[in-house]
Amino acid sequence: MKSSFAALLTGTVVLGAATMASAHFQMIYTPEMALEQGGQIPIKLVFTHPFDAGYTMDMGTPEQFFVIRTRGENEPVRTDLKEELKAIEWASLTNTGKAWETMYQARGGDHIFSLIPESYWEAKEDAYIKQNTKMIVNVGGEPGAWHEPVGLPTEIVPLAKPYDRWTGNVFQGQVLLNGEPVPNAEIEVEYLNHQPLLDSNSFAAEPAVTVPQESFAMQTIFADDNGVFTFGIPRAGWWGFAALDLEEDFTYKGQPCSHDAVIWIQAKDIN
Amino acid sequence: MNLKPIIYVLSLLFMTATAAQAHTPLCACFDNGDNTITCEGGFSDGSSASGVAMRIEASDGTILMEGAMDADSTFTFTRPESDFTVIFDAGEGHVIEVPDRNIIF
Repeated sequence: MKSSFAALLTGTVVLGAATMASAHFQMIYTPEMALEQGGQIPIKLVFTHPFDAGYTMDMGTPEQFFVIRTRGENEPVRTDLKEELKAIEWASLTNTGKAWETMYQARGGDHIFSLIPESYWEAKEDAYIKQNTKMIVNVGGEPGAWHEPVGLPTEIVPLAKPYDRWTGNVFQGQVLLNGEPVPNAEIEVEYLNHQPLLDSNSFAAEPAVTVPQESFAMQTIFADDNGVFTFGIPRAGWWGFAALDLEEDFTYKGQPCSHDAVIWIQAKDIN
Repeated sequence: MNLKPIIYVLSLLFMTATAAQAHTPLCACFDNGDNTITCEGGFSDGSSASGVAMRIEASDGTILMEGAMDADSTFTFTRPESDFTVIFDAGEGHVIEVPDRNIIF
């Protein structure tokens, strides 16, 4: 009896610590960012805590969800995908939250998926959170305009292809607010530590890695004077970068709102 | 002594070598669902394939259609009734063959 109480207590402490150390990340997920050939690919929009597969927030109806396709030197083509979205429930390890999905027909080149979500009320912080997010899929190895801003109000512009990073490479990005660099922006970095299971709209229960101490679950880095940040990639898989609170005095419905920018990369081992 | 021809030949060699290392030709073909097929061509460095020669050959090598990549580096044609192979021909070392079984739906 005593030991089970101790176990319960320990479990509570660990869970509490893990929740505190992880961060909100808007995800645009598909299993593979670098595709050999085109075809139908699944896309999931989930607002969650990716390192722990923790509490998944209810997403509202996105303000905008579109893709900009570029191939070689051709003119970019923008396609609105908002009307293609279907509501789903996404199960974290602790709850179920409202999320969205669609299927996308991908041909060659870069496909820059871009999301402006509805602001999310975070009662614990007495503030809204709005994370404008990008995820870039490449088909066939022909690059396009992956390095160009798409014009989101807050945006991380990649300075390396987010889909071609080896483990051990660095990833660099530039944080923009209304197209201008944000000096010294604060960026939270998390590893997608639980495999998303697309058939069941949930996360795998087993984590890929365990942390030696809570600081490692969500890493914090800062951009330089030009809004440029650098991150060395220690492990294959998906890494999320969230530049936080980029617009001072930004509000939504009369309340403070953290105006964030998120980008994802998918690294591969070099063998 | 006139070095110009030598320099010219060397430059050409150099350019060819650089081009071959800097980019790989790419070509993928998609079924449009209306009995037409669109092939998209390009290079791994992002450069345009506009003007690259395109051929559709039957399995015995007979040329069924000939054309070139358009301004957007695409080439659309009506699906032949027999087996065929699409050939993206950007010159020696830059040729891609797409057999009809590899056309993406």
